[in-house]
Amino acid sequence: MKILEVEKMVMRFGGLTAVDSLDLSIDEGEILGLIGPNGAGKSTAFNCIAGVHPPTEGTIKFNGENTHNQRPWDLCKKGLARTFQIVKPFASKSVLYNVTVGAFATTDKRAEAEEKALAVLKALNFENKKDLKSGALTIADRKRLEIARALATNPKLLLLDEVMAGLRPGEVDELVEIIQGLRRSGVTIFVIEHIMRAIMALSDRIVVIQFGKKIAEGTPGEIASNENVIKAYLGEEYGTA
Amino acid sequence: MTGNETLAPSDNPSGGSAGRSSLMGSKTADQGFSPRKKIEGLSLLAVLLIAFGLPLVMTSPTYLHIVILIYFYAYLTSSWNMVGGFAGVLPLGHAVFIGTGAYTSTILSLQYGVSPWIGMLVGGVLSMGIGVLIGLPTFKMRGAYFALATIAFAEGMRVMVENLDYLGPFNLNGPRGLQIPPLDFGFVNFMFKGKEPYYYIILIMLIGVLALTWIISRSKLGYYLNAGGEEPEAAMALGVNVARAKLIAMAMSSFLTALAGTFYAQFSLFIHPKSIISLDLSFEIAFIALIGGRGSIAGPLLGALLLRPVSDFSRIYFGDVFPGLHLVIFGVILILVMIYQPRGIQEPLTRFYYRMLDRLTKKEQTKEGA
Amino acid sequence: MLYFIEDTINGILMGSIYGLTALGLTIIFGVLKVINFAHGSLLMVGMYVAYWAVTLSGMHPYLALVIVIPAMFLFGYLLQDIVIKPIFKAEKDVREPVTVIIVTTGIWYILDNLALLIFGPQYRSIQDNPLRGKMFEVGEMLISAPKFWGFVIAIATAATVYYFFQYTRLGRAIRATSLDRDAASLAGINQYKIYNIAFGIGTAVSGIAAITLIPFYNTFPTVGVSFDIKGFIIVVLGGLGSIGGAIVGGIIIGLIESVGPQFMTATWTEAIVYGLFLLVLFVKPSGLFGEKNDW
Repeated sequence: MKILEVEKMVMRFGGLTAVDSLDLSIDEGEILGLIGPNGAGKSTAFNCIAGVHPPTEGTIKFNGENTHNQRPWDLCKKGLARTFQIVKPFASKSVLYNVTVGAFATTDKRAEAEEKALAVLKALNFENKKDLKSGALTIADRKRLEIARALATNPKLLLLDEVMAGLRPGEVDELVEIIQGLRRSGVTIFVIEHIMRAIMALSDRIVVIQFGKKIAEGTPGEIASNENVIKAYLGEEYGTA
Repeated sequence: MTGNETLAPSDNPSGGSAGRSSLMGSKTADQGFSPRKKIEGLSLLAVLLIAFGLPLVMTSPTYLHIVILIYFYAYLTSSWNMVGGFAGVLPLGHAVFIGTGAYTSTILSLQYGVSPWIGMLVGGVLSMGIGVLIGLPTFKMRGAYFALATIAFAEGMRVMVENLDYLGPFNLNGPRGLQIPPLDFGFVNFMFKGKEPYYYIILIMLIGVLALTWIISRSKLGYYLNAGGEEPEAAMALGVNVARAKLIAMAMSSFLTALAGTFYAQFSLFIHPKSIISLDLSFEIAFIALIGGRGSIAGPLLGALLLRPVSDFSRIYFGDVFPGLHLVIFGVILILVMIYQPRGIQEPLTRFYYRMLDRLTKKEQTKEGA
Repeated sequence: MLYFIEDTINGILMGSIYGLTALGLTIIFGVLKVINFAHGSLLMVGMYVAYWAVTLSGMHPYLALVIVIPAMFLFGYLLQDIVIKPIFKAEKDVREPVTVIIVTTGIWYILDNLALLIFGPQYRSIQDNPLRGKMFEVGEMLISAPKFWGFVIAIATAATVYYFFQYTRLGRAIRATSLDRDAASLAGINQYKIYNIAFGIGTAVSGIAAITLIPFYNTFPTVGVSFDIKGFIIVVLGGLGSIGGAIVGGIIIGLIESVGPQFMTATWTEAIVYGLFLLVLFVKPSGLFGEKNDW
């Protein structure tokens, strides 16, 4: 069963085509990676899928339903959650408050929402920081907060936009484990990442885009040996890493 | 008492953090009936007792008048706070709602003999419609548009009322304003000889709006308003329809503000477009809210307690020589507070209150332990 | 018909001056993303500076530009640096500095009432005014000379400002800051210094507007208030942050005010202005020339 199907998606801003006729799909329970050089259109693709702006052309189906003209909050309530590349905590509020906002997507009662939020924090080994002001967190914790908030909405599909950028290697490993744990608990994951080591370890399948167009698709092994990809993107970097 | 005693030792070291999280509306502070809760409850009870008993002690109508106006402004600012504080936008034309409330109930009672209490509700509903009308196009845009739209709407309204003697069948009486003849005193007519009834009415209104604010701040709507005010994109991605939450807040705020308009009309028995739909009034509410502490429950009350006396006394003593003095003082206080206490004076005061509470709690606990 | 043309011309002339008074507002908003509510008060300060410069020295009103422009630039620069900057810093996490907006209203009250305290409530107009009541006769029409020159100054100022922001190094740096504060600071641009300069430019432009007004308009402490509200409507009409939009928006308001009274009472033209403002907000909130993304 496909949880997300994107067909011939085009996104233009004025004269600039950020995403060009992109096709991709994700099976339920899968982890799909999306990689590409800076400015390839990855975040724009995420924004279209999450309902921030409807694509100029093409269709997006989430759970078999066309999402055209559905707004981010509608999609969130239907089980599509996302994180932001540039983290956006509700800075003056505590970690628990932040996560509770997400949990309210599933209930109207504060006690229930808070309980749910605490459970999520516990699952992410984040409970000890629940009373800290989110604006005062370290970058790693802010990223973790992004994930926690998104998870609290009870997503079926989770879009992770560079949640590992700026983290230390140890923190990356911990996050990889957490994400794998999420998949085991039944969440489908679509992830944009620059850290090759992480995305190769995580993904079942990887889609590579450049200038908004898909240039390759396959298992991490296939992608690593795909000449187009090496030329366009990975270059020497991956070979030596 | 037994439950309390078993809880007390483990509660002791975390007393401070429990207090802070109870401020944020966390559940952790609700455990049991701690001495801390008891003191909080007692101090609230004491404040209520003082508030309700004040007219028995304060017999001077002049001072009572000043206190009534403090409550009136605290009520207005709390209503403003629902949208201006929680929703993170800046309404600068709330006088339009005061005007709508005042004119609606007054016209209904003067021309049709309808009780001002009913007129109050009609005015509230009408005002809510206006609030939604302003918010509908502007909440989707940058905050500056909303601020400008509220100002333009309030000024447009003032110009209209000043230039119209009749709006359809309704007599607005243009720039001369409307006078309510003090004839039929009594509760139904919302008209009283002494100041005490007005005192209790506005006090109950104020308690009501503060309680409502407290409930909202702990509800889904409150969380959504705060989230949408701070980071709209993130809030939307978490399932928050930000514009709708703001619209609900605006509807409540404009409804409640209009009620105060009716109160003012019945209290002063005279309404005048230049004073009641004025920009000065709209700005004064916003100033009080920011100085007191935007988005907090106690902020509007503290702001009004601090600023109203300043305004009254500068008007009494310097009014003839220097009519705008209180606004200059407001302006200076505002700038200083915003530089040194951007969250308003409620923040240091709340901190002080909790420190006192901590100290008292400790004393109580050692007493109980012994 | 002749009256109609005459009114139309006068409306365009006066409207361009309205546009000029709103230009500073749109410049400051364009960079700081803050509505400067003290904008009318800055115009008032400019008028007093111009009034005293002309009265004390006896110079031609337009010559006072050489005093008013630098004085007002400095005034705006320091106002932003001393009063507004600390508040920006206190709220730097916040995406939309609402506090800064309300502080500018505090500045409004302080400036207006200080003027009242210092200069008293009386209306002042320049004595020995070479432009007073001067008219150009065009056929059978009478065109006010100071308004005509005001129109010329308004267009020239708008063109200069536009050129400055589009083609000079400093102007581009200012625009870069307005687009992305963080990126600009990464590129080595001092955000707050840019804000100071932008505020200075906006204030200096208000000074130029003051110069065009004093030959035919009285100076008094609350003179800014009516231009304030008008300015807000103009910038929304033209598109917040748009330089050309401010002038066009001003001309639209000027036309409604001068042509409207032929068809209705003057108070209703005021109502039409507010109505138009709300219509724009509902139908095309980005204004006639506003950038679409800038919501």
